[in-house]
Amino acid sequence: MKNLRVLVVDDEENIRLLFKEELEDEGYAVEIASNGLEALEKLKNSNFDIVVMDIKMPGMDGIQTLNAIKNTNKDQPVILCSAYGEFKQDFSSWVSDGYVVKSADTRELKQTIKNILHLQ
Amino acid sequence: MNPVDLLGKIIEISHSNLDLSSRLSAILNIISQDMQFEEVLVYTLDKDKRLTCRFMNPKSILFKMLNQYRCHVGEGIIGSVAQKRTPQYFSIKDISPRFGCLFYPELDGLLENYRTFSFLPLADDSYIYGVLVLCSVSKESLQGPERILLSILSREIGGILRSFELLLSSKKRISELAMLSELGKVLISNVEPHELIKNIALIIAKSLNATFVTIKLEYVLLKLDSQRFTYGIIDSSIQDYIEQLEQSAVKLLRPASLRNSALDQFEGTFKFTLYSAPIASKNRVLGTITICGEKTTQPHILEEDGQYIINTIANYISSGLENTLLNTRLRDVVRELTDAQKRLIEQEKFRSLGEMTANIAHEIKNPLVIIGGFTKRLAKRTHHEPTEDKYINIILKEVDRLETILNEILNYVRESPSLADECNISDFLDEILYLLSTDNSWEQIEIAKDFDPTLPAIPCDSQQLKQVFINILMNAHEAMQGRGKITITTKLVSYNNQPFLSVSLTDTGGGISPGILDNVFNPFFTTKEKGTGLGLAISHKIIANHHGHIDVENILGKGVTFTVYLPLKNNSTKEEFL
Ligand SMILES: Nc1ncnc2c1ncn2[C@@H]1O[C@H](COP(=O)(O)OP(=O)(O)OP(=O)(O)O)[C@@H](O)[C@H]1O
Ligand SMILES: [Mg+2]
Repeated sequence: MKNLRVLVVDDEENIRLLFKEELEDEGYAVEIASNGLEALEKLKNSNFDIVVMDIKMPGMDGIQTLNAIKNTNKDQPVILCSAYGEFKQDFSSWVSDGYVVKSADTRELKQTIKNILHLQ
Repeated sequence: MNPVDLLGKIIEISHSNLDLSSRLSAILNIISQDMQFEEVLVYTLDKDKRLTCRFMNPKSILFKMLNQYRCHVGEGIIGSVAQKRTPQYFSIKDISPRFGCLFYPELDGLLENYRTFSFLPLADDSYIYGVLVLCSVSKESLQGPERILLSILSREIGGILRSFELLLSSKKRISELAMLSELGKVLISNVEPHELIKNIALIIAKSLNATFVTIKLEYVLLKLDSQRFTYGIIDSSIQDYIEQLEQSAVKLLRPASLRNSALDQFEGTFKFTLYSAPIASKNRVLGTITICGEKTTQPHILEEDGQYIINTIANYISSGLENTLLNTRLRDVVRELTDAQKRLIEQEKFRSLGEMTANIAHEIKNPLVIIGGFTKRLAKRTHHEPTEDKYINIILKEVDRLETILNEILNYVRESPSLADECNISDFLDEILYLLSTDNSWEQIEIAKDFDPTLPAIPCDSQQLKQVFINILMNAHEAMQGRGKITITTKLVSYNNQPFLSVSLTDTGGGISPGILDNVFNPFFTTKEKGTGLGLAISHKIIANHHGHIDVENILGKGVTFTVYLPLKNNSTKEEFL
């Protein structure tokens, strides 16, 4: 089976690294982007099965990037990821396909990806 | 004693410092001894136009009897002398004189012992004070010089009575003025209203020597614990009379009184006189003041002109009281405002504190995720000594603990929406309209407002709510291409039997075509080249979070009406802020 492609967008280098390694362990092909613009650029050039994106980023933040992604491709699955639990109820994030509170325990993230991609 | 010496002696006595009755009885005694009158009596005229025998020479026999009866001016010889102000002289041969109102057989028997009777008015040029009565056993008749001497003496006695009366009334005036000045001091003092009213009652009771003074407030501007303030003790038996009297004073808008004579059942037990006056200012009755004077042997200050006094007092305190009440209300309002302001500042502080906490928590969260995440990976990847495993587990547990704490902080400080704002929708809309009107592109848009001014403030997150109305207004602006009319109406409506506040915004932008009407609230649905299609979707979400809803009414070819319904504050959970 061809590896499913995940794009991890986060301004924090070590978070990118952590998520990349954790997801690669799960068998995904992971690419990283350190900000919104870079993510849009990568999405333009290749297809990803899912995007995992931080909300709080300098410059173009996660919500703006999310809107831009959805404007180009409504069907692009995006998971928002943030330290803030309350964004779950926030109007700006409910257009995303999933929402995960950032945690050292990556099981929730992995499960959310599986759910959205209808795996298992 | 020759007449000049006699007169000199009498003048000396009348100018002495003795009290009235001592002076008079000394004078009457001298007249009795020196001029051979067995009876020398003085009747005085009372306020009720009746004469009472009050003073006598020490050896008088008749006084005890005459003192028991009072006669009206004009009645009997004494009454007629008082009325006509001319002396009358009788001898027993002429007539058995009728002294006052009655013939009394015992008196008639006694009068037969006397041979002459003289009655002289005690008067000055303008006023009659009483009557001097002289009876003699020995004299057959009174000679001219004797009569002249008596009329001089009667003038002197009249003078004594007059100056005593003047003294009495000026004393009364002085105590009245002293009381009013005391009241004045209290009224301009800065005490709390209930203290003020208590003080008023005390001052009046003390200076009038009243049994009690009770002030009842009718018109209440203030939250006072009590409506009635009393100094002294109210006998429970007259409680009802006080209330009746207060009611009639308020109804008639003038003083009312209740004399003891009207209450026969109290005869012999508790004699009192009640006066009640309305405390009125600008045609508004603030309350009533009621004064009770107990009837004692001494004529009470209230006895004679209680109504006048109480009315003066009531008038005096009404405006002062009104001022104090208003002042206090003003002070309360200012205090409430200050409190509200303080609370706002606190909230603001708390909000920024919350924001700061959230930021810090957020900043800590990332490194923590990294530490924890990689420690987990470490735990998975390698083989460790048991102690290493133990240490790794400790790190992971602590990371877990910290994460839980951070999540709690982050969730606590940034809950949305916070319905903490109290917003007056009219002011709120005006503010938004003002904001928009500063932009040139709104120049050609006419805004018609129809705001219900009675709408209560509603709890909301004003920042979010502002976004809703701006979205709707911007859509209207875009639909009308910057030219047209927006009508905004606010009112109170009922929805599912619950009170809601509604804001309708109607534009003249031609409406929405029926085919897409169902989609306008969907995220990313837009017909605009640069639209995100999120405006109405977000607005819908915000209003739902406020437990309200949005309706669209579409008139194709004309325009659209968006109506936002927001629930009023739930009365049962209403917080008393102001
Ligand atoms: N007052 C209106 N008159 C006519 N059409 C309207 C009106 N309001 C909204 N619409 C329609 O509803 C659509 C969705 O509105 P919405 O505000 O959600 O997004 P938008 O205005 O297109 O984009 P943006 O998010 O930038 O405001 C609009 O594109 C428009 O077609
Ligand atoms: Mg819009």
